[in-house]
Amino acid sequence: MTNKISVRQICFILLAYTAVSKFILYPTVLSFQSGRDLLFSALIDFLVQGVIIWAVSYLCSRTEKTLFELIEDTLGNITARIIYGLFALFFIVCTIVPLFEQKVYVHAIFYDTIPSLGAFVPFFFFAVYAASKGFQNIGRSADICLPIFLLSMLFILGMSVLEVKWDNFLPILKTPLKDVAGASLGTMFRFFEPCWLLMFMGHFKYKKGDAAKITLSYVGGALFVILILAVFYGVYGDISASRQFAISKISLFFPAIETVGRIDLIALYALEIVMLFALVLNLQLAVHCISKCTGYDNSPLYSLIINAGLLLMLIFLDNKFNDIHTFWSSWMWIVFLIFANIIPLLSWALRRRRARD
Amino acid sequence: MIKKKYTVILYWLIMLALLVMFFTNDFGLVDLSKTSVVVAVGVDVEDEEVMVTAQVAVPQPSQSGDNVKYVQVQGRGLTVADCLNEINSKTGFYPKLLFCKLILIGEECKDEELFRVLGCFYRRNYSELTALVAMCKGKAMDMLAMPATISQENSTAMQRALSEELKKSANVSSVSLKDIAESNYSVSRACYMPFIEANIEGTSEGGGDGDNVGGESGSSGGQSQGGGSSGGESGGSSGGGGSGGSSGGEGGQGEQKKMEFTARQTAVFNDGKFVGLLDESSSFALNILKNEIRLAVVPCDAGDTHYTVGLKNADGGVKLKFEDATPKLTLSFNALAQIQGAKKVLDPDSVMFDDVVKPEVLKAAEDTIKQRFDELMELCVKTDSDILGVRTLLHKYNYKYYEAFKDKILSEMQVEYDVKIESLN
Repeated sequence: MTNKISVRQICFILLAYTAVSKFILYPTVLSFQSGRDLLFSALIDFLVQGVIIWAVSYLCSRTEKTLFELIEDTLGNITARIIYGLFALFFIVCTIVPLFEQKVYVHAIFYDTIPSLGAFVPFFFFAVYAASKGFQNIGRSADICLPIFLLSMLFILGMSVLEVKWDNFLPILKTPLKDVAGASLGTMFRFFEPCWLLMFMGHFKYKKGDAAKITLSYVGGALFVILILAVFYGVYGDISASRQFAISKISLFFPAIETVGRIDLIALYALEIVMLFALVLNLQLAVHCISKCTGYDNSPLYSLIINAGLLLMLIFLDNKFNDIHTFWSSWMWIVFLIFANIIPLLSWALRRRRARD
Repeated sequence: MIKKKYTVILYWLIMLALLVMFFTNDFGLVDLSKTSVVVAVGVDVEDEEVMVTAQVAVPQPSQSGDNVKYVQVQGRGLTVADCLNEINSKTGFYPKLLFCKLILIGEECKDEELFRVLGCFYRRNYSELTALVAMCKGKAMDMLAMPATISQENSTAMQRALSEELKKSANVSSVSLKDIAESNYSVSRACYMPFIEANIEGTSEGGGDGDNVGGESGSSGGQSQGGGSSGGESGGSSGGGGSGGSSGGEGGQGEQKKMEFTARQTAVFNDGKFVGLLDESSSFALNILKNEIRLAVVPCDAGDTHYTVGLKNADGGVKLKFEDATPKLTLSFNALAQIQGAKKVLDPDSVMFDDVVKPEVLKAAEDTIKQRFDELMELCVKTDSDILGVRTLLHKYNYKYYEAFKDKILSEMQVEYDVKIESLN
């Protein structure tokens, strides 16, 4: 076992990255599908994922092997390579919707006019570099991102929480159950945190109580998302489904903005840094999976190929985001059910001790 | 070693590509001196067409003095978006309406569906929902062209008439795009907005009652007194680019009389249709129920004396409850009173005793407020306009009665007032 990333850093990732990856369109989509009961839709997903996170982190206490080694010892090297190849594809799939979201968000929030696609292209410069780095880099980034995340959230929530009308959630649970559950299912493709943990398995030194710490960190991230959802719906009520980019809209009614301008943008810029690191984490893990799959470690090349592919996708499907989103929410839950729910639980069935042990 | 070498070359190539893109496209950055920012828009309806007048701030290179020039630009089309597109083509800039702080709707729009006029502002992220919305007497383009007394840019003068401070004194029912959409798309299906009037500078309406604010009307008959008068009726079918308007203190306003803007009346909409105007006293009643009030002023007569009573620490609200399956609406208002003025000769020795407001004055103030509640409720019931949000209360807090009463709650509910005004000292 190598100690490439610490439990503290994993906790930071599950707290901050879980939250920021659900701040842009997730609240709008949930408002549209579940209305005032959007919190229940989110709770269903977080509850399921929380249990899986706990299961995976508890598994980490039972073995010092990585997932690759576990699969290799149980099902053989070829199977392990194939599964890691599939995971690489899965992490790329995880990146697609958030990437398009980021592009639309950056264009809409940080520009007064209509910028060209080129305005977002520098992201790939960062992504190529970051994705070629390993777990140590992921951990250090998380250390940097957590304080930025906490300060930004404090700033944004402080500016918006007083504008919340809590009775916007009344009457509770009057939305048809199929809509609430349907919203959970339709947004399932945004929940893949257990896969991050699966990849970190065997790369950190587990100590007693770490499973609880990791799970609680995820719960913390979930609470931030729930809070943002509550504030967003509390501010906009029945019209929240028409408001995109929730995180940038909730603080608009802070009285001082009228006088001093959009000071909330400072926090939004800072939060954008964390969002980009969260987005690039999937690419970093995809590169890691390809390295394991091929058995040949050339991270910069893999990173370049993946990012070039994503850039081409962004160029050719620039105006197809709605179609992509519809496809992801209608069908991709099956893929996410398998990779982010079933496989993490099935990993308990893998042989955790070597034959000689 | 070879791998490292290729990596470096690769990054240099990427850097080079980015630099090329930066110098050719500026990454979408905008030169400030080439921008024109829409700070207010007026919307009028003519036949089937919509006419939008934008008040545009044009940054000017200046070392001192005014560095912003304001001009009016018009567009015409079947939708507001058509008009904005035309305005953008005239200003040479394609802005979103992020800096638009006021949306003024002309009086003719009252025959239209409100959200046909306003719909564009809610679509996607074209504008933020913080912009104030108001209806105005006459045409919005005329109103936006009038020079104002208290500010060179008249949209600022109008915003002052809709200010948060005035809202907290129950003098205006200021609402934003968000408030309107929330009310209209709630189960109440009703909304309201302030009604702006322009009055000739230095005139005031007679009558003595503190509610009467205004003077000689300056907006009737389309007295387009603003500089350039919004392009002379839009210059034909394509809506000519009426420039002019207030221009940062430059000449050109000549003999035009400056105007004062007030917004003491309130336009009421039910299901997106205009149903009537609340006068000053009914608007006051609405404001003390719906807004957070810091200091409101109410005139009343006690005995032979007319008093102007200031109301502090005010707390108003609307509650709906069911007693024996009968809906009962309570309009409550509590405040502490202080005499602000009295129509009698001031006796310095007795002023200190004014701090303790006499019971008959408190009773008169309470009666005045109840009378205003009466007027407000009469209009609500008569026009079936739920601007107090009774159906919303029914839906949120009495859901089991919602289906049974949602269509008849306004006509079947019992109304009672709980008004308590006590002396501040």
